[in-house]
Amino acid sequence: MGAAAIELTDVRKVYRKNRIEIPVLEGLDLRIESGTFVVLMGPSGSGKSTLLHLIGGLDQPTSGRVRVGDYHLEEMTERELTTWRSRHVGFIFQMYHLVPVLTAAQNVELPLLLFRMSAAERRERVRTALSVVGLEDRMDHRPNQLSGGQEQRVAIARAIVTDPEVILADEPTGDLDAQTSEGILNLLNLLNTDFGKTILMVTHDPKAAAHGQRTLHLDKGVLERDTMHAPRAAAAASVN
Amino acid sequence: MILPLTYNFRNLLVRKLSTVLTLTVVSVLVLVLTVLLSFAAGMHGSLAASGSGRNVIVLTPGATAESTSLLTPEEVGRVVQTPRVARSADGQLLMSQELCVQSSIPRREPEGFTANVGVRGVDDAAFDVHEGIELVEGRRFTQGAPEVIVGRAAQERYANLHIGGSLDLGRLSNRTFRVVGVFTAKGGALESEIWAPRTIISDVYVRPLVTSALLRMESPGAVPAAIEYINGPTVKLQAKSEPAYYDDLATTSRQIVFLTTVLVVIMAIGAVFAVANTMYSAVDGRRREIAMLRTIGFSRAAVVTAFVIEALLVCVTACGLGLLAGQLVDGSRQDYLSDQTWTVLAYESKATPQVMITALSVAVVVGVAGSLAPALRASRVRLIEALRKA
Repeated sequence: MGAAAIELTDVRKVYRKNRIEIPVLEGLDLRIESGTFVVLMGPSGSGKSTLLHLIGGLDQPTSGRVRVGDYHLEEMTERELTTWRSRHVGFIFQMYHLVPVLTAAQNVELPLLLFRMSAAERRERVRTALSVVGLEDRMDHRPNQLSGGQEQRVAIARAIVTDPEVILADEPTGDLDAQTSEGILNLLNLLNTDFGKTILMVTHDPKAAAHGQRTLHLDKGVLERDTMHAPRAAAAASVN
Repeated sequence: MILPLTYNFRNLLVRKLSTVLTLTVVSVLVLVLTVLLSFAAGMHGSLAASGSGRNVIVLTPGATAESTSLLTPEEVGRVVQTPRVARSADGQLLMSQELCVQSSIPRREPEGFTANVGVRGVDDAAFDVHEGIELVEGRRFTQGAPEVIVGRAAQERYANLHIGGSLDLGRLSNRTFRVVGVFTAKGGALESEIWAPRTIISDVYVRPLVTSALLRMESPGAVPAAIEYINGPTVKLQAKSEPAYYDDLATTSRQIVFLTTVLVVIMAIGAVFAVANTMYSAVDGRRREIAMLRTIGFSRAAVVTAFVIEALLVCVTACGLGLLAGQLVDGSRQDYLSDQTWTVLAYESKATPQVMITALSVAVVVGVAGSLAPALRASRVRLIEALRKA
């Protein structure tokens, strides 16, 4: 077993709405080793997105501990979490969330603006990230000039451009057709196998789940099943 | 770290209509502000250029201007005793007794219209006492002759005031005077006047007394003591330094500044709402984008800064457009009827650096005030809710 990149201890998350407490996660214990591709599955409302948000430092647990790398997120202030996110996590969203007025290269460059880095170095990093996702020739295209799959690739390039240890993907193929989804999932496999990224992906799609090495099934805030399986053969052979 | 300007600029281009509307509102605000303040600055500048720090003007107690003052020969005799009055090369005290009257004179444009012009009856001493009077055409009038010299601004405005031209002056406009010279006065109020021999003006207007006496002191340092002496029990008249006298005359420019302030505040409030409206719609339309920026590590401050900069881009551009439009009236010659002298004074509209800085400041204040609340709302976007698919 490798070093734990992510460790949750007795994590509980309760939302309050109109004075009513809605428990979403109930005493969750979880350990994810560095460099694994983990898939989170479960019905709507099972708590998988909440778990992703807690690991991504977008939300704080009601109780329990969330450690990512050397950082205990439950002890950090909002400002510290904001800085931490920029340096240690890459986010991929279902709806890509690209800035429509910026080009692909400018979108990918956004996280780098938070680092002390020369413009030349930023350009080089952007070019590298876009070449990893196969969109080097689309650098100057705006999101409305790209297909859905290409937009998601740009979003992936944005997620990896700072070279984070962890990539969190919230239904990254939820808005794409099967063929395009396959390309995106292969790309995530590539990031996992060739670049050693720890990936946590939320999905409803069992085919997408097959790309991971481990699948966690959540239901009503409880970890129901934890399945290990072999990574898809030659998943990273083609990312197109 | 702030977001690149291209992000703000392109977002403004995306919302063309609201951007153009906000641009128009702020441009009009800056234009109105620039034009009115340029008028006030020109008017005030004209009066401010009229006085010398070495001169003391003496009026009847209670008079606010020469037009409401009368000095008897006995009073003038007491003024002469004022200590430290300068002397001319030939040993004469530098005191100018002056008689100011108003006369209605035909304008050049529009034809058929007349305006009240200040006519100043002076002795030769006036040319030594008044500072900055320069004859630029012709010659001085001859004492005892029906001749006048005219200020440059008066010549530009009134008919027939060229060298060799003539005009009728007097209580019944029954005496014809010939124009023999043109003078400048550093752009001051005196340039709007007509000067003539005092004795003749006194005769044709049946005004045996003078309206004021102007003293040239040995140095500016002698002015306070002279004022104290003249205001005191020995002379019992009213004395002011010449700059203070003209500053007191500048009530119209102060009124314009006051009215401009009121108008600009009202317009600025409207502009703030226009900016706020535009920025609120920008924030509402970009909630997910803002949430994404916050998620990848941009701080609340960076988000606030981005929206404030976006509003400032509009307001500063609008300021540039407003100032540019304001250049159309910059340097234009204007008249105003002084409510103190009841004569028309000429001035040049001046978009001074101070006017421009004021306009820019107002535009920046409008931009910040209009965008701050929407920007703060943007920074408080709830990330998780905003990131979810609608």
